[in-house]
Amino acid sequence: MLFVAVAAAQLTTYLVVSRMNRHNAEQEVAADLAQAARVFDRVSSARAELLATSARAVASDYAIRSLFADAEDVPTLRSAFTSVRERIAADFVALTDLDGEPIATSAPVATPTLAVLVARADASLTAEATGYGFAGDRLHALVVVPVRAPTITAWLVVGYAIDRAFATDLQQQTAVDVSFVDPADRVAATSLPPARVLGLGEALAGLTTSTESIVTADFAGEVSLLTVRRKPMSPAGTMTIVLQYSLDEKLAPARRLNRLLLAVAAGGLVLAALLGLTMARRLSQPVQALAAHTRSIARGDYETRLTLDRADELGDLARSFNAMSTGLAERDRVRDLLDKNVSPAVATRLLRDGAVLGGEVRAVTILFADLRGFTPMSEHLAPTEVVALLNRYLDRMSAVIEAQGGIIDKFIGDEIMALFGAPVESGGDANRALRAALGMRAALAEFNAELAAENKPPLAFGIGINTGPVVAGNIGSHRRLNFSVIGDAVNLAARLQTLTRQRAFAADIIVSRATLLAAGRDYTVRDLGPVAVKGRSQTVEAFALDGES
Amino acid sequence: MRFKVLVLSGLLATGVGQLALPAAELSVAAKDQDGAPVADLIVWLTPLDAPLPPPPTTPPDAEVVQKGEEFSPYTLPVRVGTRVRFPNLDDVQHHVYSLSKPKKFDIPLHGGDVEESVVIDLPGIVPVGCNIHDWMLAYVLVLETPWFARSETDGAARLTDVPPGRYTLEAWHPRLRRNVTTTVTLNAAAPALAELDLQLRPDRRLRRAPDATGRTY
Repeated sequence: MLFVAVAAAQLTTYLVVSRMNRHNAEQEVAADLAQAARVFDRVSSARAELLATSARAVASDYAIRSLFADAEDVPTLRSAFTSVRERIAADFVALTDLDGEPIATSAPVATPTLAVLVARADASLTAEATGYGFAGDRLHALVVVPVRAPTITAWLVVGYAIDRAFATDLQQQTAVDVSFVDPADRVAATSLPPARVLGLGEALAGLTTSTESIVTADFAGEVSLLTVRRKPMSPAGTMTIVLQYSLDEKLAPARRLNRLLLAVAAGGLVLAALLGLTMARRLSQPVQALAAHTRSIARGDYETRLTLDRADELGDLARSFNAMSTGLAERDRVRDLLDKNVSPAVATRLLRDGAVLGGEVRAVTILFADLRGFTPMSEHLAPTEVVALLNRYLDRMSAVIEAQGGIIDKFIGDEIMALFGAPVESGGDANRALRAALGMRAALAEFNAELAAENKPPLAFGIGINTGPVVAGNIGSHRRLNFSVIGDAVNLAARLQTLTRQRAFAADIIVSRATLLAAGRDYTVRDLGPVAVKGRSQTVEAFALDGES
Repeated sequence: MRFKVLVLSGLLATGVGQLALPAAELSVAAKDQDGAPVADLIVWLTPLDAPLPPPPTTPPDAEVVQKGEEFSPYTLPVRVGTRVRFPNLDDVQHHVYSLSKPKKFDIPLHGGDVEESVVIDLPGIVPVGCNIHDWMLAYVLVLETPWFARSETDGAARLTDVPPGRYTLEAWHPRLRRNVTTTVTLNAAAPALAELDLQLRPDRRLRRAPDATGRTY
């Protein structure tokens, strides 16, 4: 749209300027022609005056005067003409009697030609006349001066030929092409090259022009600007002097200017288009890239980075986007790591509440699970095999615990500490802990089957479960925090686990009365009676868990 | 001087005829087409009923002076056989000549010490020029009759001591296309008056150069 407007403006400017340019050029050419025509008039009258002055000088020469006055001796006159012509560089010399009858001429002249001129001279106060006429089939500019001896006794006629050389000479002096056209519209002499003369006579025949007017004529395949001078011919008719400018030639600079103008306009237009396109692209491309990037971020791709090397606001925006992607990816990674290092429930809570120091007292069921005889067994295995085996085991156990809504508080070597009811209380915590313990037993049996298939010795564990009030919270320094629980209930759960090592109990899962009470459901248990626990003065009522009733 | 020449001629003429007849007189008043008096007009009488008197035994004298780089008079009527002197009164030299049919002559460059004279034996117009001063021009009109006169600036010319009788009156002037001719009858009782209304052509004499650099006209 903008481009169209610019194009229209450019085109309008071009048309207006081009039109004015041509108009000005035409006016200038016309003014030039008028000026050249004035120069021509001046030059041609100066030539005629020069000829007349020469003729006067010749006519005043005493010997010539006496010879001309005594016009009887025609052969002598004729031979004298040779000298006269050379003295004054005339092409034609003639002497007539007082009536204009030729006494002697240097070239044949049709009869009334000189008489008409002489009559004009005789009628004038200066006793001189100029005109044009044919002598020896050539057009001449003629001047008549009297031979005074001392009265007018004869007339001297001198003339110069109007031929191509003369026309060319005039053209060089006046910078305008000159053509002499006789009354029959024949071109007698011209400075024009032959090809351009064609049709000049015909073109003139159609023109009715006054002396001062300038007309445009189209002939010989080009447009010319003409002005004409009508001069009396001797003996009759009018000779036309055509002063001519080739408009095509004169307008060539204007046309060049026009072409330049067009080129500049077109170039400007192309430049504007290119510039507009580039700017639009520079603007739209990053915006599109940003939009695409936003969509990819929405899809969860935080790895791709926008590469917009720009110093402007869009560059800032891209950098912000990249920072955001980095932030998002960071958050994701943190979340992932969190999920792996702490239980998802803790992670969620951490992300929601933030990692703050502190704690709260709540009732939690704590489960400890420890492998039996793993340490001596691991001595026979390569360290990588130890870790692999342990990870397989822990993986399965963790899955069971998490399936029951428990969270892995920590792994302590081959020991698992799991919590039910912290950090999130979900009801039936003790119950779920018991079910998890049973599930772990089943899972261990399954795992042992696999190990047997791999020709590996089976694993055995001991689980201790207790329920009681604990302090739950993020425990540690400002730099490193762990969500955990502390309290007597935790210690007891750990002690109960160690009880499974006593062969006398023959139990792999030992739970406290508190847990069973909290579970509130029936489980098949074996009362182990009051048991003395290390580090406690009082005994504890412990039960071996067999299964769910 | 001019007047003297005229009277001298008249006296010579009357000297012949006085014995037989009383003299008659003709006054001529010449005007041009604008009514202006015509000077330098030459008028003469040719008897219709009598032969011309015989030429004088001694040639009469006349003169055209060169003074102030001009000839004076402009027109001079003389009888055939008159000796015309051309005295140079100027400090500069002159080259007086005529290429006329009645008398061709040429007095090459001369100062005041040389006084050439020319006897003109044939009637006709003898234009006289100076070869080095193109504007200098004089006409000597050579006549067969002894009765002639030249008009003054008031256009008046008087012919005296003319025997009564019938005459052809002719008038000539450089600016006249053709001689004016009329018939007059003169008697002794009363002077006759001829009024001439002339059609003069423009004066095409070369104008004197105002100075060395100027054009000749």
